[in-house]
Amino acid sequence: MAGRKSNKTSIYFLGLGILFFALFLLDLLLGSVVIPVDAVIKALVVPQEVDQATKTIINEFRLPKALTAILTGLALSISGLQMQTVFRNPLAGPYVLGISAGASLGVALFVLGFSSIFAMGIFSSTGAWPLAIVAWVGSFGVMLLVLYVSTKVNDIMTILILGILFTSATAAIVSILQYFSNESMLKAFIIWTMGSLGSVTKGQLLVVIPAILVGLLMAFLKIKDLNAFLLGENYAKSLGVRIIQSRVVIFLSTSLLAGTITAFCGPIGFIGIAVPHLARVLFKTANHRILMPATALLGGSVMLFSDIVSQLPGMQSTLPINSVTALIGIPVIIWMIVKNKRFSSV
Amino acid sequence: MMKEALSFHIKIDNLSIGYMQPGKKPFILRDGLNFSANSGEMVALIGSNGIGKSTLLRSVVGFQDYFSGDVLVDGRPIKSFSTHERAKIISFVSTGVVSISNMNVFDLVAYGRFPHTNRFGRISEDDKNIILKAIKDVGLQGFESKLITQISDGERQRAMIARALAQDTPVIILDEPTAFLDISNKYEIFHLLQVVASQQQKTVVLSTHDLNIALREVDKLWVLMQDQTYEGAPEDAALSGKMEELFKNPHIGFDTEEGEYFFKKQFREKVKVIGGGIPLTWTLRALNRQGFQIVTDASPDFTITIREEKQCNWVLSQKDKPSQTFGSIYEMFSHLV
Repeated sequence: MAGRKSNKTSIYFLGLGILFFALFLLDLLLGSVVIPVDAVIKALVVPQEVDQATKTIINEFRLPKALTAILTGLALSISGLQMQTVFRNPLAGPYVLGISAGASLGVALFVLGFSSIFAMGIFSSTGAWPLAIVAWVGSFGVMLLVLYVSTKVNDIMTILILGILFTSATAAIVSILQYFSNESMLKAFIIWTMGSLGSVTKGQLLVVIPAILVGLLMAFLKIKDLNAFLLGENYAKSLGVRIIQSRVVIFLSTSLLAGTITAFCGPIGFIGIAVPHLARVLFKTANHRILMPATALLGGSVMLFSDIVSQLPGMQSTLPINSVTALIGIPVIIWMIVKNKRFSSV
Repeated sequence: MMKEALSFHIKIDNLSIGYMQPGKKPFILRDGLNFSANSGEMVALIGSNGIGKSTLLRSVVGFQDYFSGDVLVDGRPIKSFSTHERAKIISFVSTGVVSISNMNVFDLVAYGRFPHTNRFGRISEDDKNIILKAIKDVGLQGFESKLITQISDGERQRAMIARALAQDTPVIILDEPTAFLDISNKYEIFHLLQVVASQQQKTVVLSTHDLNIALREVDKLWVLMQDQTYEGAPEDAALSGKMEELFKNPHIGFDTEEGEYFFKKQFREKVKVIGGGIPLTWTLRALNRQGFQIVTDASPDFTITIREEKQCNWVLSQKDKPSQTFGSIYEMFSHLV
């Protein structure tokens, strides 16, 4: 029985791997300019054989964007998986700890708070760097607050409620800032909240990739503890898990993953909640040794798919990525609720 | 290893338990508690609601701190063990129903190996054999690949006990493990734990409200009362009258002959019963339930005669009335009450 199950798991992983790779190629292929398959592969493998324009489109635009999509998908999904397990709440996601609210606050304070010429020029002159940094500072600020509370408070539900309160408080401050800001700043802020994969440059990827890798490493090191958390904190403790220490590492990982992505791509919703559920349904397991890689692979695939859809292949304009992920993620969540009925258990 | 496990015993030494209250003085629920249990013994911790049973068990397992005194496991204070070391000495089963979708019985029991596996939780061939043996010990063989959301509460509680067995600890603590189970499952679980304690020489401590079962199944009682405690064999507790003191409720009595608790009622009329055997036993029970006072001679208000022919008949003779015959106790009571 166990043998048959592990066989099935391997087949699913193989299928997912192929899907992931196909979506990756498709994402490079499609866009406002359609580039043939052979040219895409040549541009990646033997760049000297293709013309300059193709090389530039692939290497400077589409490849960074596809990589960003993959990183975004796996980072948000893995942080969602961790939050759902630690809080034993199926609707938990990277947002519950107030990570994205913190990032929004940072960006809002920066964009809306400085009503100066300096702030007006953010997007044109300095690129997205300052924005990314303030968002990062914001999300990590909130995270440190939550971490501090979590070492003091033993009850995980209290922390969840505090996360929700932090989110509401920051949303209130953001609203006030929006109210007192001028039109162009408001637009700059709204565009950030819509999320974007395309604005991440190659240079920024050099920051994003290590941050995500560290977050992933921490998550993978906590696979065993995450499994124990499924039984609840008392059982986890009776099995020898050092709750506080473990929780701090998991929160750090979540914040690093979700905070980095939110900083550079804006708040991207529903991926973190929906993808872990897809992984559970597909692999029919609660074991994080399978769920963790499955969620990462699925998250990357879903985000690549969202990116393909958002750029409306063959057309000049693109849709905000946040709307696309919402339209993909929400039906998944509704379907889960209807299908499972007992949605209350992770 | 096995030899070492044989010597394990738990001693609760002048323990003071309660809760920390932020900004206030700590709330001391109980102090001066003294209990002990040896390996191979099954102990039931009994006492009324809110008397501190759960708090005591939580303090013993290490879920919460205690104020003074000590919990000694094999002579060593429980606080001196690391979380990881403790997981190899004490396993815990709570009353709560664990419901995790997509998890099968094998994986649930495999949690028991948690303190013994490497940091990635890889299950070795040895671990697998221990898990399968634990599943077999609780009588769940064949259930390995069933989902825990699709088995009964009794089966799931047995799986949780198998998990504790797979953890391979000399001490197993259970907080009201039978609270939500039906009577046959309650007996099954008590019996299973009794077998585990005696055959595997483990120290099993459980809290329970199923006093009538506990009195018949356990080796020792830890009795928590308002101002005092008692420990000893259930029979000692009954003989010493401690069972009657357990509840500070004048309406609850302990039948020392039957070894059962009952609710004292205002007596109604006096009744004399003529008959024998098992029908008599159950007729008396029924009259007792309805609060009639059973007398042998002293001027009964009415008499019930049990006639055993092909089937039982109950003849009711009341003063100044013609006697009536009923085919069941229920029919008789619908006439009487």
